[in-house]
Amino acid sequence: MTRYVMSIDLRRCVGCQTCTAACKGANATPPGIQWRRVLDIETGEFPDVRRTFLPVACMHCANPPCEAVCPTRATTKRADGLVAIDYDLCIGCANCVMACPYDARSIVHESHFAYGDTPMASEAKRFDPDRIGVSMKCTFCVDRIDLAAITGQVPGVDPEVTPACVNSCISGAMQFGDIEDPQSSVSRLLKETQHYRMHEELGTEPGVYYIWDQS
Amino acid sequence: MSMEAAQPKSVKHVPTLCYNCVSGPDFMCVKVVDGVATEIEPNFAAADIHPAKGKVCVKAYGLVQKTYNPNRILTPMKRTNPKKGRNEDPGFVPISWDEALDLVAGKLNAVRAKGLVDEAGLPRVAVSLGHGGTPSNYMGTFPAFLAAWGPVDFSFGSGQGVKCVHSEHLYGEFWHRGFTVASDTPNARYVISVGANVDVTGGPCAVIRHADARVRGYKRVQVEPSLTATGACSAEWVPIRPKTDPAFLFALIHVLVRENGLAKLDIPFLRDRTASPYLVAPDGLYLRDPQSGKPLVWDEVTATAVPHDTVGARPAVAGSYRIAQAVVVDADNERREYSDVEGKTAFEMLSQHIDKYTPEWAETICDVKAETIRRIANEYLEAASIGETIVIDGQTLPLRPVAITLGKSVNNGWGAFECCWARTVMAALVGALENPGGLVGTTVRLNKSRDNRHLSVKPGEDGFMVQYFNPTTKEEWQSAPSTRNLHQTLVPIVGHNGAWSQALGPTQLAWMFQGERPDDWSMPMPTLPDVWLVYRSNPSISFWDTKHLAEVAARFPFMACVAYTVDETNYMADVLLPEATDLESTQMIRMGGTKYMEQFWDYKGVVLRQKAVEPQGEARDFTWITTELAKRTGLLDPYFGAINKGVSGVSPLKGKDYDFSLDPASEPGSEQIWDAVCRAATLTLSEGREEHDLEWFREHGFYAVPMSRLEWYLTPTMEKLGLRYELPYQERLLRTGRELGRRLHEQKMNWWDEQLSEYTALPEWHDVPGRWIRNLENSGAKIEDFPFWLLTTKSMQYHAGGNAAIEVMHEVAQNLRGHAGVIMNAKTAAGLGIAEGDRVEVRSHIGATYGKASLMQGIRPDTLVIMGQFDHWATPFAKTIGAPSLNTIAPMSLDLTDATGSGADIVRVGVRKVEGVAA
Amino acid sequence: MKNPILRAANLAAPKQQRNWDWRAASNFIAGGAGGGLLLLTLLAVSLAGFAPEVTRSAILLGLMLIGGGLTCVWFEIGRPWRALNVYRHFSTSWMTREAVVALVLFSFGALALLTLHPVFVVVSGILGLGFLYSQARILAANKGIPAWRHPRSIALMVATGLAEGGGFLACVVAISSAALAAPALLALIALIAIRVWFWKAYLGGMVADGAPDGALRVLSGLDSRFVVLGHVLPALAVTAALAGMPGRAGLVFAAGIMVVASGWFLKYTLVRRAAFTQGLALSRLPVRGRGPAGAATKPGWKAVPGTKTG
Repeated sequence: MTRYVMSIDLRRCVGCQTCTAACKGANATPPGIQWRRVLDIETGEFPDVRRTFLPVACMHCANPPCEAVCPTRATTKRADGLVAIDYDLCIGCANCVMACPYDARSIVHESHFAYGDTPMASEAKRFDPDRIGVSMKCTFCVDRIDLAAITGQVPGVDPEVTPACVNSCISGAMQFGDIEDPQSSVSRLLKETQHYRMHEELGTEPGVYYIWDQS
Repeated sequence: MSMEAAQPKSVKHVPTLCYNCVSGPDFMCVKVVDGVATEIEPNFAAADIHPAKGKVCVKAYGLVQKTYNPNRILTPMKRTNPKKGRNEDPGFVPISWDEALDLVAGKLNAVRAKGLVDEAGLPRVAVSLGHGGTPSNYMGTFPAFLAAWGPVDFSFGSGQGVKCVHSEHLYGEFWHRGFTVASDTPNARYVISVGANVDVTGGPCAVIRHADARVRGYKRVQVEPSLTATGACSAEWVPIRPKTDPAFLFALIHVLVRENGLAKLDIPFLRDRTASPYLVAPDGLYLRDPQSGKPLVWDEVTATAVPHDTVGARPAVAGSYRIAQAVVVDADNERREYSDVEGKTAFEMLSQHIDKYTPEWAETICDVKAETIRRIANEYLEAASIGETIVIDGQTLPLRPVAITLGKSVNNGWGAFECCWARTVMAALVGALENPGGLVGTTVRLNKSRDNRHLSVKPGEDGFMVQYFNPTTKEEWQSAPSTRNLHQTLVPIVGHNGAWSQALGPTQLAWMFQGERPDDWSMPMPTLPDVWLVYRSNPSISFWDTKHLAEVAARFPFMACVAYTVDETNYMADVLLPEATDLESTQMIRMGGTKYMEQFWDYKGVVLRQKAVEPQGEARDFTWITTELAKRTGLLDPYFGAINKGVSGVSPLKGKDYDFSLDPASEPGSEQIWDAVCRAATLTLSEGREEHDLEWFREHGFYAVPMSRLEWYLTPTMEKLGLRYELPYQERLLRTGRELGRRLHEQKMNWWDEQLSEYTALPEWHDVPGRWIRNLENSGAKIEDFPFWLLTTKSMQYHAGGNAAIEVMHEVAQNLRGHAGVIMNAKTAAGLGIAEGDRVEVRSHIGATYGKASLMQGIRPDTLVIMGQFDHWATPFAKTIGAPSLNTIAPMSLDLTDATGSGADIVRVGVRKVEGVAA
Repeated sequence: MKNPILRAANLAAPKQQRNWDWRAASNFIAGGAGGGLLLLTLLAVSLAGFAPEVTRSAILLGLMLIGGGLTCVWFEIGRPWRALNVYRHFSTSWMTREAVVALVLFSFGALALLTLHPVFVVVSGILGLGFLYSQARILAANKGIPAWRHPRSIALMVATGLAEGGGFLACVVAISSAALAAPALLALIALIAIRVWFWKAYLGGMVADGAPDGALRVLSGLDSRFVVLGHVLPALAVTAALAGMPGRAGLVFAAGIMVVASGWFLKYTLVRRAAFTQGLALSRLPVRGRGPAGAATKPGWKAVPGTKTG
């Protein structure tokens, strides 16, 4: 079995939003829609303050609440752990948007572009009408994962088949790979470190691991 | 435009680079689908040679939008409204390239006819270039045109010289050939980062180095009034009172020198690599050998004073000694003789000088607890692990894994000299200066050779490396300035090494003196240049007192701007020239070696920025524009001569075993020029083994050869040459200041006297923040109306400023606190009735700026911070985002100008909530 | 519509959901009441018997409420013309179940309306309950909204649906000037009591188990008004009617309206104003080079249940 997961080393992240911007480029999301972003969280009171940068996106849960509520089976968990949306089946009921405890999903009802109603050449080239009125979210760059099955490349090792955010990260905070493979970089890193998954108490079994210290 | 979702016919990944900020160049690829750039991607082909593994930062991901932004200027334009000003619509109308180039060339030819220098002795052509030298990586062969032209005034800065890390540039190069200075992060264990915002401005190379160091377990202490992203990623935050950093650093020295003492410091380093043993006379000058004139040291072997370079001597680092016969050399070479005089070692002078600067004293200045300062100093000393070594490429070197880095506004303006001195002394005390793990310079800009700082180190006076100060002797001092910022006249240390020295002069003086001049001004009246060329620069946003600056800019008689969109500076232009932008044009540049901010490579080489997509509209590659200008001004011969010499490329086009020289008569096009550059560069780098043409580079992107990591550290070179760092005592600066003072006073100029006070052998604390308060009071304002310090900080999304018009940068930046707003302490805000997101007015004594309140705990209660540089009123998109700017309300003032000619981004302000859109 | 850019300071904290507006809320508001009304009609018909026109009115009203709610939600979904995908790509979601129940319910409801045959009335009533229950489960299945996912929300949603059904039935009966039997009035008081009991249980559970501050603020703000206007006053009115105060029909009608209106206000509040998202949280703040890791943080929540320390 394969389960693709992502690890995010919070010790490394500087909040630069390179992954946010890379994702927007790779997935051609419209203005205001971010399939992933890095949050800037402040805790404490002056002068004992901490600021933490927290990258968030779809957690590709093993027990995805979005899948359970989908009335059309548009959202499905794949055998490799990815939670996918079939844009042709989705009716845009938004139930999954609210089932997700990670704010990962969104629906765009009308097309709009960076500089108004007219798309730039780069936007026109990639505009996908199928994504209007349906639920969208991070796909773990599913096209790349699917390409790996054809080329024999390894997601998380070969950039062509690794999610854009992971590729772009300049602090080396993100790793991607098969957690069922004990030799994958993500498995090895998780062995060496202390980590948690967000909102684990909700039983979602997320596929994103946040590293906060060495073990 | 039709919407397409069809299957693409062609997909290419074009290797190129990003150099939008000083921390570049970094590698990337442009994904091009059917001729349209759609995505920016890392270039993993460069992962093994690039310290940042072939990646670019967030800014580069805006380049696709930059290319297709509908607000671009896409044809040459000329102004139709002869009146200029913020309230005058320029009435730009499209014209042909021929007309535009003829217009500009016509003005240039008129200048050549009149003479390149005007009646005041100032160049008739001025050129302003943007952020930190980065424009030269985009302007193709324009440097060759400038070289062919002759005298050009770079005085009208857009921030460089005053808003850069100015004192670090000048003193960093002076002390250890570090135009900028960094920690040797891969080996560091303890870094005190005083306002340095390296995780925001250091580029991908710095970010990965520090991330690796964090995971390895180094400790970084961030000393800064607000908790920046860099502070957030540090182990400790020390919220110091603004502009009191010298006091904090002095106290660190105190703890090392007075509380720990010499025995715990790196005695061999101090003795052999610094001037610590040099004996100082009671008058503050070095005691010198009467015969040779060389500074004396006390030899512990023979118990006599001997010249510093006496073979076999063991100089005493501390103590005071009776010297039988010696001389001192004062300003203007005045010699005085001494007999039976007491000489204290320079270290002894330091030790006595620093005695009063205790942590308890510093606490009262900095608002940082004495125990915190003492603990940090002791942690630093312990982490320095004096005695430890490391083997690099087979050579054993000291390992001193500690550094103090300084940030903008700490290392420029008043107090910056003191900070630069103190942190360099802190490095020297533990032997961490230019040794592995320690404090290292990145590159040189005021000295040559620009691509190898080791080659810039040559023996000079008194056992130190050679320096090229602007002369202050009676005979040679430049009493009539040759540039409008008076860099050779007023700032000896900035030197006269071409454009870099000029650009690092007091550029605010060039702007200020177009308005008022001091009463005792006795030099020729500054003139406006006949022709002003502006490239990748928007001083009307990025300088201070921007309203006034725009008014000055409106008075320039002829202004041609290479324009991306309309902006606040080119709003006053007579001609706009649309340039092919980052993804549309071609240029080869150097990469690798060591370079700011933390580019320390194991390779060096060249990288091609190439045309990934066809230019939009009528936009043209800058090399084409330049060649056309050269042709129309009759300068083709010297222009190609300069290109052949390597001015615009990376190496001369003619070498020992190759000759790709271009013949001006054949009017070589851009392709031919860069093809020759590619071939010459690869042959030079490979020492004749490999030759690659432009086509090869289009496919491969870059070419690199290995480089030893030993090149990161200067101390082995200093050791090889038997040279000492000019630390801790600043006898040369003392003398230079005295000489400069004499020259100015001979001209009856007293308006630079305050600045002369900075020329000291050992810096004193001089109430640095008080200078801003006094300036406020002198302007007639009441201090109680302006109870806060306003500072600025950079944003990675916007750093270098050229992308304020890019929508996606605005969008992603909003994920971070403080963008588009005024950061203030939550408790302070509550006291003023200000809530998160409220519109507030921030007012200084010269004006007001408006934005939304962004409340944080991570900022001092007495401090406000405005991120980036905004307040746009002409730039499309940027003018709609409603972000404030410190620049609008920070004054330019002689009071606030330090001896290097620099200032700092700080101003006293008041803040209040306003309803709706305020005037 | 441009997607609004949220301020950085608010991004991690729970925020009111923006995906289901009044249209989706209407489905819960009207549909739940309709389901409750159909069930109570069944019970009333079985236990007491109604005049045919009263039964017809009640069933018609119930079906209209459900139909109206579904129409509203149809206008909300992103791809309304694909709505039938719910039947084509059958899943086990509660939204699917709601849709299936609705389909069958309309068939049986129509037959009941036409024939008043007890079987159809009974099946419609049971399906009404099924519809109501499905709706409660739809909300509860949304793990992203703490105010919905609380297990006690199911009972509350069912209880209010039934109370609203009772309120509607009381109104129908009051208008039709049919006999207002004491047992029926006592049953209405019971429905009111049951709802307030489940409301208090729900609210107590939310406070005890933790919820976004915003949600708690909204729900706590609702409490006294909801209890007084939705329970105390209607119960008093019904009691007065029972005690023989003049204007009995008017009292009962007023009570019915209050029960319905308060229930609708509750559901609107629950679906819109109290529907704060989970928000994002950190179980640990990372070690930044050296020093200790920071404690957990959950912006917008007072307590941090379910996180370990040490």
